[in-house]
Amino acid sequence: MVAGPTPNPTALVPGRPRAETARRPRIGVVKFASCDGCQLTLLDLEDELLTIAERVDLVEFAEATSRRSAGPFDILFVEGSISTPEQADEIARLRAMSHRLVTIGACATAGGIQAIRNWLDHDAIRAAVYPRPEYVESLAEARPVADFVAVDDELRGCPISPAQLREYLVALVTGRRPQLPDEAVCLECKRRGIVCVAVAQDIPCLGPVTRTGCSALCPAYGRGCYGCFGPRESANTRSLAAWFERDEGDGDEADVGRLFAGFTAWSPPFRAVIDARGGPPRGVAMERTEPDA
Amino acid sequence: MVTAATRFLARADLDRLLGALAADGRRVVGPTVADGAVVYDELEDPAQLPIGWTSETGPGSYRVAADGAGRAFDYGMPLTSWKRFTHPSVVPLSRSRREGNLVSVAPVGDSPPKLAFLGVRACELAALRIQERAMRAGPVGDPDHVARREAALVVAVECMTAQSTCFCTSMGTGPEVVPDTGADLILSELDDGFIVRSGSPAGEAIVGLLDLPLATSDQARLATDQVAAVRTAIGDPVATDGLPERLRAALDHPRWADVAERCLACANCTLVCPTCFCTSVVVASDLDGREARTERSWDSCFSAGFGRVAGDASFRPKVKDRYRQWLTHKFSTWWDQFGSSGCVGCGRCIAWCPVGIDVREELAAIAPVDATAGPVPWPMSPPPGRAPAPLATVMPAPHALAGVSQVSRETADTVTLRLDVADPAICAARPGQFVMAEIPAFAVPPISISRIRPDGIDLTIRAAGPATQALTNLSVGAELALRGPYGRPWPVDAAQDHDVVIVAGGIGLAPLRPVIDAVLADRGRFGAVRLYLGARTPRDRLYVAEMAALGGRVDLEVAEIVDRAGPDWLGRVGIVTQLFDQTTWDGSTVTAFVCGPDRMMQATAAALERRGVAPASTWLTLERNMACGVGTCGRCQLGPFFVCRDGPVFSVAELGTALVREGL
Repeated sequence: MVAGPTPNPTALVPGRPRAETARRPRIGVVKFASCDGCQLTLLDLEDELLTIAERVDLVEFAEATSRRSAGPFDILFVEGSISTPEQADEIARLRAMSHRLVTIGACATAGGIQAIRNWLDHDAIRAAVYPRPEYVESLAEARPVADFVAVDDELRGCPISPAQLREYLVALVTGRRPQLPDEAVCLECKRRGIVCVAVAQDIPCLGPVTRTGCSALCPAYGRGCYGCFGPRESANTRSLAAWFERDEGDGDEADVGRLFAGFTAWSPPFRAVIDARGGPPRGVAMERTEPDA
Repeated sequence: MVTAATRFLARADLDRLLGALAADGRRVVGPTVADGAVVYDELEDPAQLPIGWTSETGPGSYRVAADGAGRAFDYGMPLTSWKRFTHPSVVPLSRSRREGNLVSVAPVGDSPPKLAFLGVRACELAALRIQERAMRAGPVGDPDHVARREAALVVAVECMTAQSTCFCTSMGTGPEVVPDTGADLILSELDDGFIVRSGSPAGEAIVGLLDLPLATSDQARLATDQVAAVRTAIGDPVATDGLPERLRAALDHPRWADVAERCLACANCTLVCPTCFCTSVVVASDLDGREARTERSWDSCFSAGFGRVAGDASFRPKVKDRYRQWLTHKFSTWWDQFGSSGCVGCGRCIAWCPVGIDVREELAAIAPVDATAGPVPWPMSPPPGRAPAPLATVMPAPHALAGVSQVSRETADTVTLRLDVADPAICAARPGQFVMAEIPAFAVPPISISRIRPDGIDLTIRAAGPATQALTNLSVGAELALRGPYGRPWPVDAAQDHDVVIVAGGIGLAPLRPVIDAVLADRGRFGAVRLYLGARTPRDRLYVAEMAALGGRVDLEVAEIVDRAGPDWLGRVGIVTQLFDQTTWDGSTVTAFVCGPDRMMQATAAALERRGVAPASTWLTLERNMACGVGTCGRCQLGPFFVCRDGPVFSVAELGTALVREGL
């Protein structure tokens, strides 16, 4: 029997600090097709981890505890994209027993790097990767969790930002609205006084169409943003792509398809740019390589 | 005006100038090359200046290059503007604490460092003046901004090169540095050194320390000729005559949609702009919500969140709305608000736009010189060129503590808090004013005062989001912190000897209740008083018993209507305008006060006008996303107005079509 949605009206009352309510919220962390990096961000909150653990009841978090839970969950953090039929069933089951479901990271929110296979021949890829592909059951497309079940909130990034995770948890516990801006990386660059790498060095940068949250990490080190937080609201990817491709007569126009075909390639605004250029560029990685030893 | 001799500083003596500034107890901030651009940063040695560097700018492009010459100020406009130092990107505002029922809020802020700004261009001097005016145009000036500005000594530099993106000549801000415009010292660079003029006693003191020889007339002429050549090179790229009027007549121009196809809404133009000042307040707290701090950080009218209100609705959902907001504010409504253009012609927004949108081209397309003047969407008042209003006194916005003495539930999601307040200013609030209501760790919403008492106020609050939910959850004995009272009140006195019509929709009755109180307190001063109350359902009515009691009085008329109701409702069903569409009173002698949802107010204003009520006598109060309450954060802008400062009460005549226009 599957448990119903959690009835815990006192644990998550908006506008009421958690301290005034009855019991600690039950929190689970689960993963699908992903690298575990996002859930490890929870462990990166070193200074406050113990305090957090006192305020919430971490009932399921394989990276930190051998405790397992069958649910229900007040909040379920979900990492990873949905890549196999079993995962599709499992996320539906978990959704039914979660009061609030929060996707974390580029894989769960946008499909992740593995979603690049969505443009390719699924059988050919499987045959290229596995010696006995008939044993491998996978979906033709790796897709974000929101394509399968309703998602209440999302934390973006590859991996997610510890500051945003902390903000989310604090807002949850204090009963206020988490401040997770959906604006461009550019705002963070300018607040920090970072020189724009696109304008000053002609480095293609996805910052203007990418959601902030990373504190402009890559531009701070002189690199262009590669969009790991995925599209911001009103992401005008078409205009930016056209600008990258403008002919300045120097013959080094950016490979725009490759630029957008990163961790959040399958997000609709990025996907539109890639589709308009006939899919992601195919490099050597896509060709079959035989192991020699 | 300080008249001082024109002196000469040899290039080799530049370190003496920096030494003199340091001896004055100042850290010197000036241009230096970093990460492929000239930026403003702290300097310890003249060698850090961009000596021998030039730059080339164009739409979406900025390049520095070494030219081998020895000049320090031949680069173009840096990425950073001086607002990084006068209006930092993040400023802490307050620390607050909640322990059980008890609340405390304390402002924070350091005394700013004593700086010397070295290398301020003429356009940037104008920007410093314009931004200071913006930060001091509300009821209280921003203390942080003013303290930082006052702690800075300004060493201006005349431009000896022009960039392709420059248009200071059109905006009337440069390239010449004119005495008495805010510079303490003025430098004009020649090959072998600098002409030095002082612009203030502080500047004169620095010159005195340096003991400089007089400049020769040849040197002075050479400098003048070079700056004149810059003026010629720039030309007059933007036709500014009549531009504010042309722009406001072009709000429906198809070019807005065209530029939105290219615009990324990334906010870079606003953040590099030396006059843009908009901010948002960010709240951070510990895990228990006991300790919290607020800070403000740069925000932009290009962000969706900037135009967002409770319930996640946005006033400017489309990029074309946001671009129009920015451009019309810079070049048109800035005049209404601050008595000048908001643009100084520095060209940063052109160079640092990641897709090279050129504001000069957009202006020429949207508001061409030969445009036939269309109808203006709101009255141009006051017109461009008027003398700017005096600067506000600078004082921190103090917090007053309030204690909840009674909680009355009005509807399923709305309660009225009766607050005891010791602060005499808040108890002296006038009808229509609002307060910013803070519980530590939560956002700070503006709340209309719904009753004014000698010992406190009432706030009627609908739980629309977590912060208002937290306020409605307060119980007797709890404390909260208030700032205010803010805003322009209802002009109750203007209704003297007039008939009074009050129209309320739903929670819109809350800010109108003090009007009812004021009218009834001096009933003889007014003619007929009519109160029309609308609500979604019978259960959404406010102050039910109180309104029923008013209905029993002979000296006023009360009528109620609800949008929909069950069989137990014996009253009228429909929209609020139906209550007076069929009456016979004469609108020409009426002063009307209206509050409710935007659509209800639009319909009511139109219905009142049909009844003969003059638009100048119909008063509304608007809800916008006010964050500071004192006109410095920019969030509640509506056309030429800041709702917090110029409103929230407006007449229909003042608003013009701003009331019904989408995306403002």
